[in-house]
Parts: sequence; structure tokens; C-alpha cells
Amino acid sequence: MVASNSENDLKTEVPSSNEAEQPQIQAIRMPSMEEIRAQEVWNNCAVRSVASGVMGGGLGFMMGIFLGALDNPIMQEQMSGRQQLIYNLKQMGTRSWSSAKTFAVMGVVFSAVECVVEKARAKHDTTNTVVAGCVTGGTMSAKAGPKAACVGCVGFAAFSVAIEKFFDRHT
Amino acid sequence: MGGFFCHFLALRNSLNPNKNKAFLRSEVSMAANIPAGIDKEQAFGMAETEMEYRVELFNRLAQTCFNKCVDKRYKEAELNMGENSCIDRCVSKYWQVNSMIGQMLSAGGRPPM
Repeated sequence: MVASNSENDLKTEVPSSNEAEQPQIQAIRMPSMEEIRAQEVWNNCAVRSVASGVMGGGLGFMMGIFLGALDNPIMQEQMSGRQQLIYNLKQMGTRSWSSAKTFAVMGVVFSAVECVVEKARAKHDTTNTVVAGCVTGGTMSAKAGPKAACVGCVGFAAFSVAIEKFFDRHT
Repeated sequence: MGGFFCHFLALRNSLNPNKNKAFLRSEVSMAANIPAGIDKEQAFGMAETEMEYRVELFNRLAQTCFNKCVDKRYKEAELNMGENSCIDRCVSKYWQVNSMIGQMLSAGGRPPM
């Protein structure tokens, strides 16, 4: 494994240099404790779920703004242009806020469950995604009763597996 | 690859925080057990043997836990969380068993059957 690293360095550098001198091969450098700690930050389940929640919130906010802008007021003829604009902005605001909250909760729950399950199993599999998707879908549809929770679980698990396969299709 | 080594380094430093002290203490105790007539050359030879043993142990540990924990189809360069926790457990077990067997062999002289 050490030899392959230096071989790769040689292969990428030899075509570019026309002289007879060999390119300098760097020795393998062990990471320092600061680098290790910086990488270990992302192994923490809390940090990952909060970051995921923030990203989900941002995504939900953008989606809410976009979909709220498409909403048309009910009494369109009786309002002036400026009133329509204010109405539209209020719609965009409320819709983006609720959508951001939903997506943020979804991101936090999914990421936290996947992280905990993967750490417990000590394997990187699609089973982690399925369990996390089921729990997320179940909690999001739990208010509509147990049957809706089951349907939400299965549906969201299938959706998250599909998304993961889509993002991993080149490997 | 760097991630794998870095995790091993972190593990070794975290599992045995007094690693350097323990190594030096073992060296000193080994030196204290030697009778006074032995010169520096033999002590140096013993330290070299100990160092070879440690390097061999690390290499075997890295090889075993890599084969056990890391999937051979490399999808990304960094270790993901499942592999990290697998390596944690593998190294911890290996180290514990190694020290246990070392104690049994050094104390008993003959492994109890």
C-alpha cells in the first residue's frame, strides 16, 4: 500500500517532466493529533445530525420560498399590485418557515438514527439507510395513526435507498 | 490509507495513554533485571529485539483488523463510521488478548491446558 502511493506519484509526475531527474517522492506523513481530532469531529453523531438538520432546514427554506412564490391570492381582482406583492411575500414567508422546520426535523432524525445504527453495527451497509428511513418516515407520519406510520416508514425507507443508490451509481 | 493509519494512531494513543511511559518502564525494568555485569551493547540488543517485536505486533494488528473491517470495494478514500467503530473494537480486542497471552506465557512458562 505504501509502494502504490509512491508509484502513483511517479506516474502522474513523469510525463510532465522531460528532464532526466527523478521527481521528489514525499515520504508518508503520519497525521498529527490536531488532524486526527479534526477528522474525529465528523464521527460524532450529534455534530452530524445537527449539520444535517441545518442543511435540511436550508433546503426546506429554499423550497418553501420557491413554492410560495407560485401561490396566487384568492381575491386577485380586488387587490392592487402592492397588496398582491405583500400577500405573496407573506405566503412565501410562512410556507418557507414551515417547510424548513419539516425538512430540518427530517434531516436531524434521519442522520441521528443512521449514525447510531451504523456505530452499533460497525458495518457500512444499506440496512442502516433502511432502518433510518423507516424511523424517519414513521415519526413524520405518526400523527395520522399507526397505519399511516407504517406506510410512511416503508415509503421513506424505499425513497432513501433509491437516493443512496442514485448517489453511489458510479462505484 | 492515511485515514486508516491515522485511526490506528489515535487508537493506540487513546487505548494506552501511557504508551511511551510503559515502553520506557518495560525497558528500564528489563534493564533492572539484567545482572550488573552486562554492558551497554547487550542492553542495546535487547532494546532492538523489543522494538522489532513491537513493530511486528503493529504490522500484524494493522493487517488483521484491515482484513476484518474494511470492505475490499473501495468507494471512497476516508474511513466511514462503521469501519471506524469496527477498527476500534478490533484493535481493543487484539490488544487485550495479546497482553493476556503475554502475561500467561511469561508467568506460567507452560500454557494451562
